[in-house]
Amino acid sequence: MTISKSTLRGSNRIKENDKRRIVDETSRKRRHRKIMELLESDNYHDDPHADLVMSKKIPKFDDNLEHRNTRTKKKERTTEYYQFKYRKNFQQLVDEDRAEAELNKRVSYMDIQCEESPLPPRHFCAVCGFLGQYNCLSCGTRYCSIRCMDTHMDTRCLKWAA
Amino acid sequence: MFKSKRRRTSGAMDSKPAKKESIEAIIVDSGAYSIKAGLSSIKKPNVIPNCIMKAKSERKRLFLGNQINDCRDCSGLYFLLPCEKGYITKWDVQKPVWDYVFSHNVCPINEKPVIMTQPLFNFKSIQDCMDEIFFEEYEVPSMFRLNPTDLGRLKYIEDNNFTQDVPCIIVDTGYSFTNIIPYINGNKYLRGIRRLNVGGKLLTNHMKDIISYRQYNVMEETFVINQVKEDTCYVAKNILEELKVAAKSGSENTIVKNYVLPDFNNIRRGYIQDSSDLSRKEYEDNCQILRLNNERFIVPEILFHPSDIGMKCMGIAEAVVKSIYSCPNEYQEELCKHIILIGGNCNFPGFKERMYNELRSQLPHSWQVHVFQPKNPVSYNWEGGSSLLKVPDFKTYMVTKAEYEELGSTIIQQRFNTWMIDNSEIKEETREKEEILSYLDNLKDKSVFGKQEPGENVSKTDSDESDTNIQTSDGNMNNTGQNVSDENNQDSLCHNSETDIGSKLKKTQLKTNENATETLDEFYLEEEECEDLRNSVDLFPLGNGSYL
Ligand SMILES: [Zn+2]
Ligand SMILES: [Zn+2]
Repeated sequence: MTISKSTLRGSNRIKENDKRRIVDETSRKRRHRKIMELLESDNYHDDPHADLVMSKKIPKFDDNLEHRNTRTKKKERTTEYYQFKYRKNFQQLVDEDRAEAELNKRVSYMDIQCEESPLPPRHFCAVCGFLGQYNCLSCGTRYCSIRCMDTHMDTRCLKWAA
Repeated sequence: MFKSKRRRTSGAMDSKPAKKESIEAIIVDSGAYSIKAGLSSIKKPNVIPNCIMKAKSERKRLFLGNQINDCRDCSGLYFLLPCEKGYITKWDVQKPVWDYVFSHNVCPINEKPVIMTQPLFNFKSIQDCMDEIFFEEYEVPSMFRLNPTDLGRLKYIEDNNFTQDVPCIIVDTGYSFTNIIPYINGNKYLRGIRRLNVGGKLLTNHMKDIISYRQYNVMEETFVINQVKEDTCYVAKNILEELKVAAKSGSENTIVKNYVLPDFNNIRRGYIQDSSDLSRKEYEDNCQILRLNNERFIVPEILFHPSDIGMKCMGIAEAVVKSIYSCPNEYQEELCKHIILIGGNCNFPGFKERMYNELRSQLPHSWQVHVFQPKNPVSYNWEGGSSLLKVPDFKTYMVTKAEYEELGSTIIQQRFNTWMIDNSEIKEETREKEEILSYLDNLKDKSVFGKQEPGENVSKTDSDESDTNIQTSDGNMNNTGQNVSDENNQDSLCHNSETDIGSKLKKTQLKTNENATETLDEFYLEEEECEDLRNSVDLFPLGNGSYL
């Protein structure tokens, strides 16, 4: 821990800190995974009109292809048809790709993922965004000052989630 | 690359002899965020959001692509996106959007050939579905698929009048990820490719999160915050200097801006408030205003240091260096002369300059470094479609509907997937070059500002020196490293004791720009002298890939 005693002397928080349960590495990793999922998500809220079904509301494919004489009714397909026939989640796709790549000795999607940087990570205060040189004793979150520490303790500190 | 694989089918389109006729085709760069589509004969593509949106205010309809322009109130928009990490997984979203794009509303196919992009290593079942939709339902007469950067490379080569074997490296930083792809002898050199899982989507979501934590809850306002990002964010030249300015108060802080959020009444798109414009003042007093300070540059900074948010992944510039060193020795120096930046994230002001500075300082002194960013980094790949059509005999490489029916998806996909590919292994000797990076080991376990991490016993001054060395290795960033070694650096950041940083920054900027232009001139001069060579080389993307 990089907390300097001199900076924090006189703060009541430090006494609280001593008693605080330290959140283990597993929970910290779980939190990080959750954050990464959030950063990948399309929406934060629920569909406001979940009842609005797409295929019924969207006008049909309406360009002149429709009126082409070679075109038969048989060739028109609903979106559900494709969704059903080609339904695979991302992980399935990646796994299939990896297996096929191994077989054919080619580079796969997973192979091109970037390595970790040899540079040391930089640390920013989770509260205000400026450089943060202290770690929260409980959960490891970075902060820069007593003020930001207090905010962190009152809001996003993992002690609440644990 | 087609070698023996290419088979002709009777009656397809092989009756005509090879000649330089102009083909008109539909060019479609189908990205995870937007679809760029249009006839090859037009200059600019239609750019259509690749999504379906639902608005809180409109209970009865969905908005496909650019129909969102008809939506009165865009607050709390709900997104249906077809892609996951850049790859199509939701066909119930993708199909209706494509139906819309290829209808008379945007760009009808009208029995024209279709050139379509697909992401690197596009998965087999996604390609199967694309085949079925385009050949069977849309009944395209012929089609070709390739990676978006293949088009970008062709455009770069054509615009600069280079020969097809000029090596180049394309940095494509988009919505879902950032790909770094070296092209050698016209082929993607697979062992050199790198991907960062950082794209515009992650940046917008991160911005939503920090604004929601610090100011208003905007977690449901992806649409608006994406615009805030586009309107206010920039890439810092040097983050420590930038943080110092952002820590100042009053007029000395030139970074902090107020952003007037849209109310979808009189303001449809938010904007940075101009405090001197009093005419708007009264109205703005009743608007919600975001105060943006270090967020403006901390957000794009994730591209350069994904570790800022705990991702175990190197930054975009480091990854370019890594990619170059993963290529065969004899091409590395040449690759540095042709670094092409494309994709939406290039639109952050300062992006190109930062890339140049970082690459310049990380690559060997004696190598020329030239970074090119097109005027429109979003549509550049699409624009390459017309370059593709000029490839001699290109028409014969397209897959016709008859060929699809006769040969089936697996065989035609091989044609698409082996285009411009080099899957060869690297020679052992190349590894030596990586040692240039070994200075980085000295920095291990130390934080940016030269402080030791607990548990390490390397002396502090050591780290500061190496830090400064990296930044000044090319002599154009003399000012940037100085304060890092300042014992009280941290305190000064917090207490605003620094003065005249603004002018200092300006100076650095000027110097760097000068340097960039210099390099550019040198570069073009040399290219002119090489003209003879250009005419004698006759390799093309379709040439066979193995040069080792
Ligand atoms: Zn703070
Ligand atoms: Zn905490």
